[in-house]
Amino acid sequence: MTEKQNCILRIDNLIKIFDDAETEDTILKGLNLTVQRGEFMCILGPSGCGKTTFLRCIAGFEEFDGQIYVDGHKCSVPGTDRIMVFQDFNQLFPWKTVEQNIQYPLKLQGLRDKDELRRISEESLIKVKLQGYERYYPHQLSGGMKQRVAIAKALALKPALILMDEPFAALDAMTRSELQEEVLRISEQEGSTVIFVTHNIEEAITLGTRILVFQKGGQVVFDEKNPIKRPVTPLAENYGAIWEKLHRALHSEDGG
Amino acid sequence: MRKKEKKGFWIQIVFIALMLVVWETAARLRLFGPRSEIIFPPLEAIGRAFVLNFAKGYGGVSLWRYIGNSMKLLGEGLLIGIILALILSGACMVSVSFRRIYSLVIAVMDLLPGVAMLPVVIIIFGISPGVIVFLVVHSVLWPMSRNVLDGFLAVPRIYVEAGKNIGLRGISLLLGVYLPASVTYVISGLKVGWARAWRGLISAEMIFGIASCPGIGLYINQMRVNLNNAEMYATLLVIIIIGLIVQYGILVPIENRTVKKWGMSR
Ligand SMILES: Nc1ncnc2c1ncn2[C@@H]1O[C@H](COP(=O)(O)OP(=O)(O)OP(=O)(O)O)[C@@H](O)[C@H]1O
Ligand SMILES: [Mg+2]
Repeated sequence: MTEKQNCILRIDNLIKIFDDAETEDTILKGLNLTVQRGEFMCILGPSGCGKTTFLRCIAGFEEFDGQIYVDGHKCSVPGTDRIMVFQDFNQLFPWKTVEQNIQYPLKLQGLRDKDELRRISEESLIKVKLQGYERYYPHQLSGGMKQRVAIAKALALKPALILMDEPFAALDAMTRSELQEEVLRISEQEGSTVIFVTHNIEEAITLGTRILVFQKGGQVVFDEKNPIKRPVTPLAENYGAIWEKLHRALHSEDGG
Repeated sequence: MRKKEKKGFWIQIVFIALMLVVWETAARLRLFGPRSEIIFPPLEAIGRAFVLNFAKGYGGVSLWRYIGNSMKLLGEGLLIGIILALILSGACMVSVSFRRIYSLVIAVMDLLPGVAMLPVVIIIFGISPGVIVFLVVHSVLWPMSRNVLDGFLAVPRIYVEAGKNIGLRGISLLLGVYLPASVTYVISGLKVGWARAWRGLISAEMIFGIASCPGIGLYINQMRVNLNNAEMYATLLVIIIIGLIVQYGILVPIENRTVKKWGMSR
């Protein structure tokens, strides 16, 4: 495959200004980026640098200037080829069961066959280790389980891009590392392309095949392939070095 | 917790029994002299009247028929009112200008008791069942619209975005996300709307009994005119019972199957 065919996301000169903000600050100042199929791209950056805004532009939730191409198609409104997994646990519809939450988007795409729907929802629940919870309502699940369902829902749709905005930030350390492992395993098995925003350097090194650091204005100050072979452990050879580099890139602003 | 609830229940039963005893005593002692029979008919007479209302009724027409007529008009009005409220509140989500205007209309119309509009409405419809339906629609439309609109506006952004993300747009977004997400509001709108409609219906029937479609209000009025006060009291009981049936037979189950089941109670 040529480089061009392998490119799943291309962003040309993305500019985002919020008209309603008091300061008419440019949040994203002309961002250019390409993402290859199968990449797991982690984005680090200080609070308020525009990571969420960046994902929301790709998802089509915000208006923006510039071009975003997904699989060669220009995107400006939301679509099922880009599924967002939010940080907020309350992203599932509380009026639908776990199973219905997963099947509903498929039904909207015109899939009517009940057995097929069941098969897909069961399969994706197995992937996130939640089989047996089909009939539960979201309010009967823990935060971690809700995030698993949200991931299962995204997987079932087989989107070109999965966008994750600090999906595990509000979880306890143990659940968090459990979910990291699962996301890692799933993304390898499925070959999904993921853009994953996080505050956590360790998380970025553990998950990412490529790591970016944003600074104010959506400026990309760091963009490198993760040199560490999976599964990543803190004992890996380059771990300390890459951690240092990311740490420095993160603090480059206030360092002068 | 359970024990306390049970105790509360028994206290209520004892209270009701006590009130019945007081009533019966007042009736037996003829506390109000010659008018006692009318003000406090003995419980036995009321019980008999209750049965007679249904068995014989008035002028050969059973109370069932009156109830049936009232419920039919109530049902029609509620249905029209609820559907209109949903459509108009939905339209408010499409156009901000329309929302501004409609909010104003709701605020103004909500202040207007339906009965006060009866004279004008009668000129338009004539003395016909349409008047009652209009009144029921008026009673339910504004509180329902207010609540549904508040509910739509309070839908968390994340549900809307999750909905758009999976391909919902326009009407499908309204039905697929906004409506279920604001079910608590819809139900409280239903409660207020139904209660107002039920009161409005009975008042209107009492003031302008419609002979072509006689309802419960008219029945009470006929009992009053004929000084059949035991029958009148029995009919009041019927009104209370219907209210309880709607409350516990319809509204509470709807709540249990939605808000409670989905863990969405506020
Ligand atoms: N709807 C909005 N209207 C106006 N300004 C906004 C809006 N959303 C975000 N901003 C501004 O855009 C900037 C970037 O916000 P964003 O949420 O993208 O940051 P972030 O990198 O995700 O931060 P965090 O790491 O804290 O989540 C902030 O300065 C914020 O004030
Ligand atoms: Mg953010």
